[in-house]
Amino acid sequence: MPDGVATKAPPVKPGAHREAVLYRALNGAGAGPAPVEELRERAREAYERLELPTWRRSGFWTTSLRDLDLDALTERTYAPGGPLPAAVAEGLPRGDVAGRLVQHGSTVIRAELDPELRERGVVLCALDEAPPELVERWLMSRLPLDRDKLEAASAALWSGGAFLYVPPGVVVDKPFDVVYAIDEPGTAQYGHTLAVGDEGSDFRLRHFKLAPDLDGPALHAGQVELYLEANARCRFAPVQDWGGGSVVDVSTQVVRVGRDAYVHWLPSYLGGSLSRQHLELAVAEPGGDMAFRGVFFAERDEHLDLFAVDLHETGPSGGDVHWRGAATGQAKASFEGLIQINPGAQQSHTYLQIHTMMLSPRAKVDAIPSVLVSADDVSASHGGTVGELDEALIFYMRSRGLSRAEAVHVIVEGFFEPLIGELEDEGLEELVRDKIGEKLQAAAADVEAYAAAR
Amino acid sequence: MADLEIRNLHVRVEDREILKGVDLDVSKGEIHALMGPNGSGKSTLASTIMGHPSYEVTEGTITFRGEDITEADPEDRAHAGLFLAFQYPVAIPGVSVANFLRMAINTSREDPINVKDFRKRLQHAVDLLDVDRSFTSRHLNDGFSGGEKKRAEILQMAMLQPEVAVLDETDSGLDIDALRTVAEGVNKLHGELGMGALIITHYQRILHYVTPQFVHVMMDGRIVIEGGEELVERLEREGYDPIREEVGARA
Repeated sequence: MPDGVATKAPPVKPGAHREAVLYRALNGAGAGPAPVEELRERAREAYERLELPTWRRSGFWTTSLRDLDLDALTERTYAPGGPLPAAVAEGLPRGDVAGRLVQHGSTVIRAELDPELRERGVVLCALDEAPPELVERWLMSRLPLDRDKLEAASAALWSGGAFLYVPPGVVVDKPFDVVYAIDEPGTAQYGHTLAVGDEGSDFRLRHFKLAPDLDGPALHAGQVELYLEANARCRFAPVQDWGGGSVVDVSTQVVRVGRDAYVHWLPSYLGGSLSRQHLELAVAEPGGDMAFRGVFFAERDEHLDLFAVDLHETGPSGGDVHWRGAATGQAKASFEGLIQINPGAQQSHTYLQIHTMMLSPRAKVDAIPSVLVSADDVSASHGGTVGELDEALIFYMRSRGLSRAEAVHVIVEGFFEPLIGELEDEGLEELVRDKIGEKLQAAAADVEAYAAAR
Repeated sequence: MADLEIRNLHVRVEDREILKGVDLDVSKGEIHALMGPNGSGKSTLASTIMGHPSYEVTEGTITFRGEDITEADPEDRAHAGLFLAFQYPVAIPGVSVANFLRMAINTSREDPINVKDFRKRLQHAVDLLDVDRSFTSRHLNDGFSGGEKKRAEILQMAMLQPEVAVLDETDSGLDIDALRTVAEGVNKLHGELGMGALIITHYQRILHYVTPQFVHVMMDGRIVIEGGEELVERLEREGYDPIREEVGARA
């Protein structure tokens, strides 16, 4: 490029990380909407052509699936209506639901919906059995299918899947559950969830990915899309807990917030041996607002790669991103949070904070905020903390009679509490708290050794 | 034999000897004041009595009710009936005062305290400390003012009902109202439950509201002079310098 010629790259705020261009926002690029078979055909072609992916961020962070042996994995089918896998029977929060869909391997084995809601036009069913006229309005309108081989595999090979449609003006208090379960090693599961909140609807969606401690490898490649039309409101709470086996999870989840709509999105990442997650929340029309939360707890030798995008396509719009994560053992966790404000998205105001806590000398947590702003009448900032266990705090609690382990539990629970409390779902809060408590207990020796070493 | 017996205590922190042979006896029902200039080792003694892991006892013993606790874990000392009111209480985000206290009380019980008994004890403590009941639903010390933190320390003391409490400069940074509240708390627990107290202070102010039977003055890691209430008056009149000179002359 000749000297003195301005580049066309969007202005980047001081301190923004160049890595943002490597972990890129989808920015609305979708393969659809289109009929299911057409999308599958295109995805199949991409699947044949593409390599297994490696993601790199300027040398110090790599997530590679090059060693994944796809031939060793098979899609498994089960009898519809058959028994619930133990991980599902025991792994769901207590309390009533408005509807529940369970996909076991490649088969939707349950699709239950409150009959009264069905009468009012709510749809909860397998995606491959959903009314095409509804599905084709949204399917993959913001999801690509050819960024890498696993994305293409998921787009080409998904079976079962989940479709939730909440009609205009319908308000539902109890949550809808969508559950993906794997309970045999060697399973490849390709999932696809499409959820739509039509104008003025108000509902909760919980999205579980569950497995027991599998003795052998398994794969989940999945896509989730949630569209909120004008004035719709949704609390969206995904939970990933693949247990202590070696489950690889490569997923993309996108949420589109329409005019004056609102989403509270709070995923909990509680287990998975190798996870690469692209989470993108797009405020796509004026007046859209959101709270984008998340918790993660990585243990043992888990590898967790989270890329969360707070995208503002138009203004005025609001955003509030707040994540908290901890790691024990030799776990590696990376959280990259990208704020992207597109040209013309004036009066967008957003803030991203990420707090992490290291509970082991061999654990590693990277928290990388980045900002790409292409409008001038906006505010976008970020902050965060990197914490270790505070010995002064532990001594204080011990002096009141708590054991060291109890004190650590109190600190870690207190660390996550600001977000867990925001779930506003007693059963789910209890589940997440208990899971974190179990992980701490399992890592107690490690946490103790860390304290002794310091 | 005193309940809390400290004999020839030497304590090192990061290769520096801070306490150089401290002897001190505190029993239930007694109120002691430990005074001394800044840096004399008062807070080190308080932390060491409670078993702070950064303080290394190189010589001497601490005995509590006949048990050698020199190497005991802080939580075991708490269960035995010792309490430390911190000079700088730390915040515990995400945990309410009431929940923390319930947890702390239950650590020294076989069965968890029942809701009714807990509420009764809490109400009693809240009345004693003259704080609003809503105080106990706030996160412990999180965003508390200096005075609120000190009140919270005394509230915990009232709830845990120790045999002997060490109050580490609980009076510093307090306005007169808070100071009076803290002092009344100590007096009531002393009167009602026969609690023993070791009040560590740099100033004399709190001793206008709590009358010590025993006064000890610490300088450079040793207790250099002991007496009764009259010693407080002398310090108030003369400050630490004349004592320092006397001790220097004796040495």
